[in-house]
Amino acid sequence: MPSVQALSSTPSDVPQIVPHALLPFLRSQSQNTLTRLYQRPSSCLSILRLLGPLERQLIMNLLWLESAIPVSTMAAWVVPDGKKLYSEALSVLVGLHIVQNSTVKLALNPTLKSSLRQAITGGGTTASFGVPAERDEKRLPVGIDSLDAYALERWETILHYMVSSGQEQLPTKPSQGVLYLLQRSGLMQSTNGSNLQITSAGFQFLLHSPHDQLWSLLLQYLHMAEERQMDLVEVLSFLFMLSTMELGRNHHSCSQEYTADSLSETQKAMLEDLRDYGLIWQRKGSSKYFSPTRLATTLTCHSPPLPTSTTPGTSATTSSTEVALSSTAGPQGFIILETNYRVYAYTNNPLQTAVLNLFVTMKYRFPNLVVGMLTRDSVRRALGNGITADQIISYLVAHAHPQMRKNNPLLPVTVQDQIRLWELERNRLKSAEGFLYKDFASQADYEYVLAYAKQLGVVLWESPAKRSFFGTLEGHANIRGFIERRSGAS
Amino acid sequence: MDSEVDKPSHLSVILDLSPTQWYLSARATNPYPLTIGSFLSQLLAFLNAHIGTKNENTLAVFGAFPGKSVMLYTSTEALVDEPPPLDANSYPPFRMVDTTVTRQILRELDAIEPGDEPPCALVGALTKALCYINRITLPSTSSTNVAEGSTHLPDPRILILSVSPDLSSSYIPIMNAIFSAQKLKVTIDVCKIYGADTVFLQQAAHLTNGSYIYLERRDALLQYLIMSFLPPPLVRKVLTVPRQDKIDFRAACFCHKNIVDVGFVCSVCLSIFCQPVPVCSTCRTKFPIKALQRLKSACPSPAPAPPRPLANLNNAVPRTTEATNHSTPGLR
Amino acid sequence: MDVDSDSDISVFGDEDPRVKGKGKGKASEKPKKGKVKRKAKEQAYTWEASYTRSWDTVQEDETGSLQGAVEDLMARDRRRRLLAPAAAIRRTIIRHLVLILDLSNSMMDRDFRPTRFDLTLRYAREFVTEWFDQNPLGQIGVVGMRSGLGERIGEMSGNPQDVLRSLSDRAKLEPTGEPSLKNAIEMARGSMSHLPTQSSREILIVFGSLTTCDPGNIHETLEVCTKSRIRISVVALAAEMKICRELSDKTGGKFGVAMNEGHFKDLLFELVPPPAQHATIRNAGSGSGLPPADLMMMGFPTRLPDTSPPSLCACHSDLKSEGFLCPRCMAKVCDVPTDCDICGLMIVSSPHLARSYHHLFPVKPYEAVASLDYTSQSTSACHACARPFPAAHLSGVVTEGLSPLGRYRCPDCHHDFCTECDVFVHDVVHCCPGCGK
Repeated sequence: MPSVQALSSTPSDVPQIVPHALLPFLRSQSQNTLTRLYQRPSSCLSILRLLGPLERQLIMNLLWLESAIPVSTMAAWVVPDGKKLYSEALSVLVGLHIVQNSTVKLALNPTLKSSLRQAITGGGTTASFGVPAERDEKRLPVGIDSLDAYALERWETILHYMVSSGQEQLPTKPSQGVLYLLQRSGLMQSTNGSNLQITSAGFQFLLHSPHDQLWSLLLQYLHMAEERQMDLVEVLSFLFMLSTMELGRNHHSCSQEYTADSLSETQKAMLEDLRDYGLIWQRKGSSKYFSPTRLATTLTCHSPPLPTSTTPGTSATTSSTEVALSSTAGPQGFIILETNYRVYAYTNNPLQTAVLNLFVTMKYRFPNLVVGMLTRDSVRRALGNGITADQIISYLVAHAHPQMRKNNPLLPVTVQDQIRLWELERNRLKSAEGFLYKDFASQADYEYVLAYAKQLGVVLWESPAKRSFFGTLEGHANIRGFIERRSGAS
Repeated sequence: MDSEVDKPSHLSVILDLSPTQWYLSARATNPYPLTIGSFLSQLLAFLNAHIGTKNENTLAVFGAFPGKSVMLYTSTEALVDEPPPLDANSYPPFRMVDTTVTRQILRELDAIEPGDEPPCALVGALTKALCYINRITLPSTSSTNVAEGSTHLPDPRILILSVSPDLSSSYIPIMNAIFSAQKLKVTIDVCKIYGADTVFLQQAAHLTNGSYIYLERRDALLQYLIMSFLPPPLVRKVLTVPRQDKIDFRAACFCHKNIVDVGFVCSVCLSIFCQPVPVCSTCRTKFPIKALQRLKSACPSPAPAPPRPLANLNNAVPRTTEATNHSTPGLR
Repeated sequence: MDVDSDSDISVFGDEDPRVKGKGKGKASEKPKKGKVKRKAKEQAYTWEASYTRSWDTVQEDETGSLQGAVEDLMARDRRRRLLAPAAAIRRTIIRHLVLILDLSNSMMDRDFRPTRFDLTLRYAREFVTEWFDQNPLGQIGVVGMRSGLGERIGEMSGNPQDVLRSLSDRAKLEPTGEPSLKNAIEMARGSMSHLPTQSSREILIVFGSLTTCDPGNIHETLEVCTKSRIRISVVALAAEMKICRELSDKTGGKFGVAMNEGHFKDLLFELVPPPAQHATIRNAGSGSGLPPADLMMMGFPTRLPDTSPPSLCACHSDLKSEGFLCPRCMAKVCDVPTDCDICGLMIVSSPHLARSYHHLFPVKPYEAVASLDYTSQSTSACHACARPFPAAHLSGVVTEGLSPLGRYRCPDCHHDFCTECDVFVHDVVHCCPGCGK
């Protein structure tokens, strides 16, 4: 790890470990909150999974030690090149109060230690992995397929609502809670009381990977929960519990239901919200049982096996479930981009088509194929919406068709460059407020003042021929004072 | 894009489950006696730690039993018919691993006939592990997205937990397995839990860039396992793992299975002999008399440097007597 | 004509079982007959009959997809390689090879992409890597043919890195002028003349030109090569030349003209595995009929740990801590295999020797299982990788060693393996997971 540095933008050698979106939020919590959270084995396990590989290994190294070890002992295992990564990892752990802050000894938070040990050896009576419901003949088990379909439908409803908010025909509205959350997170806003409109942040959101999208919504949910005076520990541990639950059982291929009886009041209240997001499934709103969907059980996976990039709808249901299952191996790409700026998208999913429509001029639509062109206008429209060129490119990379993956580089260079150039084009004119200084009496005067202004670093433009220069607003007072002092002195 | 660095990894664990050796290991006369029961409980914690740290991590467990090798667990196939019931206090995949592995081991140990114990089928288990890794790393031909498979290569490792001594007859198959591991870019780690060092496994670890650890404090097995064998290769670049430093590159001769410093090698088939022979026993090549005389005169002592026997063959002696009485020690 | 076409049918039926083998049952037999007949009618010339019509052997399945057919072909292909005789146990293992590269103007032709020269360089590097992998005790030297001269590009060396380095600088190898086969072969011969008799001497020529510009009679050179048992193999990139064919025929080498990029690579890589010893017997000419064999004295070194105190090595006089100790004179050398610089003992590490043992003890070929024998225990999954076998077809015929059930059984341990493991075990592992041998 130490030897690799960010060199190019191809996805194969992006070495930077992006810390998980939830970690900064956890860091901002008090030690007390975190320690309460660590009481539950499932939370410990989930947090462990959210951390980077090095942090995980450090925790595991310390987990089975009975006493604290000297800092130098652990540091002795670090190779010289890895010192920086090691200290970064350690500071992450200290920030999360996983490792006790000490310069002499290293030890895990005792609460976390005992919970994590419990999680790994399987014991205790915390029931933090969810209490399974008794199998009941009357309640027919629901299959994984239908759970996937349900989660997908919920999730795409949200995205679809966002993407088509600017158009006339409105798709089905998500529930009020979801709308509020979208508005709250700044992904959509209502201008002068009219319908909700997608914001530029929202446009960017659409191009993110489903995993990122889910977590940024959940983060907003957590912030909202804080405001609604919900107990954060309860909220978080419920999310973590969901992420460690089992999606159905392999050989029955039907879901395992969990009972809601053991949940706290806060958590029961959350059931409804999470149902709206498609994270859990309930037979009825008032049901005592619930099943997590794939969206929930894959929360702590780093590569998102979300069923989002499937092609449901008009095609037969069998094919949609098939794709959903195969998507556990990774999202399946569907876009082919040619050097002539043509985009072929093998999809019949209205959501994917709509997202593409953000930056592609659509030409033809076939039952399983959409053809479009990347044009200057279409890309500029997207840029105008606040989407950046890099986001467009990374979306195309992330959803590239398997056939495209044989190419190196993956996207045609000309097209990548052109998209970037179109972005630069928008930045040709820059406006800055300031003052024009002209009509200097002599060349010497001009040069003297100019030198001073340059020293301050406030010169935006200069023209020796015209004996004038343009300075920023901030520098004006200084320059003016300088000129006055000089003219006063002479 | 963090998944690029934080790649999922595959771990194949090979358990050496020779009843005799485990019986010897559990004797109270040892400095740190280790019973198979406590070994298994520590091992299960290690396995759980591996699949627990990352959702996409995969695991396979192979057992080398006397004369037989068995796949005990894989994350891709269900080996037992009835999955264990869910329990609110344990993470379902952990429970799955624990029950499957224990159940399978018990079943195999119960099936062992009392009597002479054949040596453990370590080679079989090792080749099975390689075949399995070959299967999961190769993009399956039937899947539609062939290109996708190559980007999601789990980064494979094999961990051998060995208690038995080297079997000199398995030298060639083990070497062959090592070379195929090199080809597949598989790292072989070895933990010697009981008995003397094994030269073959030392070479296996060295040639595949793995680490070979001789377990000195056997009461600290779990800590050894976690610190040395849990980190995937990427983490090992930051946190080092212990390695052995001096490696024996000597070979066993074909005629007496002695380990030799200087040997005589057939130019046709590369068979190694500890002293000049007139005819190669492997390929039946006759060697010219002149060369024989020349070589004999080259080494002043006719049998060059009293050949040291394979160090670890010594341990194999008490095997047959004790095996009859204690061939199937229970797990607990 | 009628007779002719009939015989064509029989040719297709017998010699090209792929057509027949496609049909799993009798039902599909009929329409195919018609197809063959039609094809026979279309044939204008009898010579066409000897061509395999690859497009006819591929058939769409019910859904119109070629996937199944393609997979089938691939499996067949893999199997076929395995069925090649594995009998020749005596192979030359200590090999010496001089790689002669054509660096004449004709190598700038663009009929291979990007150019003949670039492709040759790329394949040569891959060849060297693979060659050393399989012949760890061998040595390779590189000679170029440029401006009518033979040019030494890389000295004989057993270190793949040395050889690769000599091939790495493209600018230094820029093709120019005419090639000279005689000069290059003489140079290669010179560098191999001192070698002991038990090692093989081989020359591999990659020849892109259609002319050679020699200072004397090349047939004399050929004569000398035959006498000193140098085996010359030629891979031609342009067309077959009489002299090239003669060179390889007379010395027992191989000759091939590359038809396309893939074929070029195949031709090169055919020369990677050690040649079977019997091939040389014909040309040995010696009375005994057996190739000369010898016992060699070899030392197995101890590797010093990286942490040992640094000392000077005997080969480069560099101060370094890691290295290998010669077991006889305790001199320190940097790398093995090598000859000890002090006492001249050949130092190899045992893994180097072991790398070639699989040539000596090959795994017995597995038998294709034709039908499930219910008396024997038949498992539902591959014994090696636990991949479940496809749901059994009722019965089938073993064609070209391809089991209709996708099962291959070891004759010794009677365990069943899947196609992939069958190939993997025989090609890579060289050890049967069932018997452990």
